[in-house]
Amino acid sequence: MSAVSSWVSETLVRDATERRIFAVLGLITVLLVAGVFAGVIGPRFLLFQIALVGMYALLSLGLNVQWGYAGLINFSVAAFWGIGAYCAALLTAPNSPLGLGLHPVFGFLAAIVVSALIAVLIGIPTLRLREDYLAIASLGLAEVIRAIILNERRWTAGSSGISGIPNLMSWLPLTDAATTAAIVVVLIAVVYLFLRRVHRSPWGRVLRTIRSDEDLAKALGKDTYRFKMQAFVIGSVIMAVAGAFYAHLNLYIDPSDLVPLTTFYIWIAVILGGTGSNRGAVVGAAVVIAIREGTRFLNDIGFIQTLGIDLAPLRLLFVGGLIILIMRFRQDGLLPPKDELIWPAARDGSRSGGASPSSAAPDGGTAPNGGDDR
Amino acid sequence: MNDDAYEGARLDKDDVVLKTTGLEKAFGGLVATDDVSIEVDRGTITGMIGPNGAGKSTLFNLISGFYENDAGHVTVNGEEVTDLEPHERARKGLVRTFQTPRRLEGMSVREAMLVGPGPQKGESVFSLFFSGSDVTEEERANIEQTRELLERFEIGHLIDQPSTDLSGGQMKLVELARAFTTDPDILLLDEPVAGVNPTLANDIKRFIRELNEEGQTFLIIEHDMPFIMDLADPIIVLDQGKVLMEGSPDEVRSDDRVIEAYLGGAGP
Ligand SMILES: Nc1ncnc2c1ncn2[C@@H]1O[C@H](COP(=O)(O)OP(=O)(O)OP(=O)(O)O)[C@@H](O)[C@H]1O
Ligand SMILES: [Mg+2]
Repeated sequence: MSAVSSWVSETLVRDATERRIFAVLGLITVLLVAGVFAGVIGPRFLLFQIALVGMYALLSLGLNVQWGYAGLINFSVAAFWGIGAYCAALLTAPNSPLGLGLHPVFGFLAAIVVSALIAVLIGIPTLRLREDYLAIASLGLAEVIRAIILNERRWTAGSSGISGIPNLMSWLPLTDAATTAAIVVVLIAVVYLFLRRVHRSPWGRVLRTIRSDEDLAKALGKDTYRFKMQAFVIGSVIMAVAGAFYAHLNLYIDPSDLVPLTTFYIWIAVILGGTGSNRGAVVGAAVVIAIREGTRFLNDIGFIQTLGIDLAPLRLLFVGGLIILIMRFRQDGLLPPKDELIWPAARDGSRSGGASPSSAAPDGGTAPNGGDDR
Repeated sequence: MNDDAYEGARLDKDDVVLKTTGLEKAFGGLVATDDVSIEVDRGTITGMIGPNGAGKSTLFNLISGFYENDAGHVTVNGEEVTDLEPHERARKGLVRTFQTPRRLEGMSVREAMLVGPGPQKGESVFSLFFSGSDVTEEERANIEQTRELLERFEIGHLIDQPSTDLSGGQMKLVELARAFTTDPDILLLDEPVAGVNPTLANDIKRFIRELNEEGQTFLIIEHDMPFIMDLADPIIVLDQGKVLMEGSPDEVRSDDRVIEAYLGGAGP
């Protein structure tokens, strides 16, 4: 128990404000669960929302690698998501235009390979140039992918979409909703642990350098093109995996979600959560989805009905208001990055201090190789 | 000044680390670098001076590959690097700093220092998963080197500070220390004491001299005359994109052409 609490305090919650943020999030969770037991919220509905939040968290984690780590401006989040979703749908749905009905594993594999390929193809001409070129090219890519899916009906079924996508792991002794929710939790855990390892490392450090001053990184001998390409591909693949997962969550996919608005939500989630922070990306996604989905029900509240206005379409306004609040009171986002990007195993031996660099007052190293191997 | 006055640099050195031949660069109609051939001898602190706009920084950018040259060649240790990217030139041992301090947003001094050594094993995603213990070992060594170097430069107490919170002089020191961690054959410093208070400037001079005594070669642009005259030998004088002359501090100080270049500005 104390191990868990010390992990929480060192890894998740770094200061008093963060404790408050997590307390609010915890409270909302408790309320939602209480709602289920009180019969106000259907458990199926809640599990679906959890899966949805999880999917958005994956997308945010992907964009965070690109924008948060490396400073790459990618406006085609929805496109990579769509590539993943369509790979899964086309390969696994028996009544898709391809009609293959393969195992979902192949859908995920195809999503990874195709998104990586497209990321490389976009990266080759743009990543050597100034950062705005990727922004423009990715804006174009988003529209091209959407246009292809809409118009190549022979391959993609166009606007009528693809249905009959199978559930994931339906052999598990859980309801389908519980299974997908569990799967997204596992997916997030895997991606999160992967990113934690690569971020707090010399690799992540070079990306952070590129983000603030690419010329400096070059002057120190770093092949910045290679690093940016890796970040771009990793982020895009994570987005495509989120898309493939969504296909199996929603069991139906059409091009209507491949719009710039989806990309916009993910950008908001990353900025809101704290650019560059993995924890922030997950929390930011949860907040954005809570607002987006929550506002659907505002009209059902009696008091608002008596006002006679339709609040649901105003959800973008709420998102906008939230951004203004955050920028006013917490400029770096809810959970901004706190870690020094130093390989954790290396710092234990060479420093006597704890995990937080700022608490070790003037000079961390009093005992060069003190025996505290936590 | 008429063209005959441009004597050029000395090109008969024994152990040349860096050599440029006929470097040219024009920005539109403005010729910023005009047929520049210089040599830097191993083990020296070579100075580079010249009035504002003489083309010193442009020459650094050409040498380090940040600008593409219109003509000419650059060699490092006898090896042609003219067609290489900046990072490839850095790997060949040619490392530069910038005239304006570069700020690494969100990085502590320790982190900012640790970007220097390279290539590091931990810069490969593959190694992070499959040879973690090598990464740990290398990172430990680099952290230790960072600590020693900062202590040597008498800024050990800053190691935990945000690297953006430093004074101009401290930033220059960190940049010098970081550039040194790349283990360069030649370090190009663009105005290492511009905007630095005299005490810290003296410290920087002392550290540069110490590193040089241990064998580090420098090419240093500097406007602060007492600083560069005291530190460097030889000194190359640039004026209007061309090499005016090269000589010892005394020769440079007493050269009429140099005085004219500084007093006459860009005039004829
Ligand atoms: N990227 C550029 N585009 C256009 N003109 C440039 C560029 N870089 C430099 N110049 C011009 O080239 C000339 C030489 O500039 P440079 O910066 O090399 O001078 P400098 O000797 O370093 O001067 P200072 O002592 O002021 O740093 C100047 O006239 C400058 O305006
Ligand atoms: Mg200059």
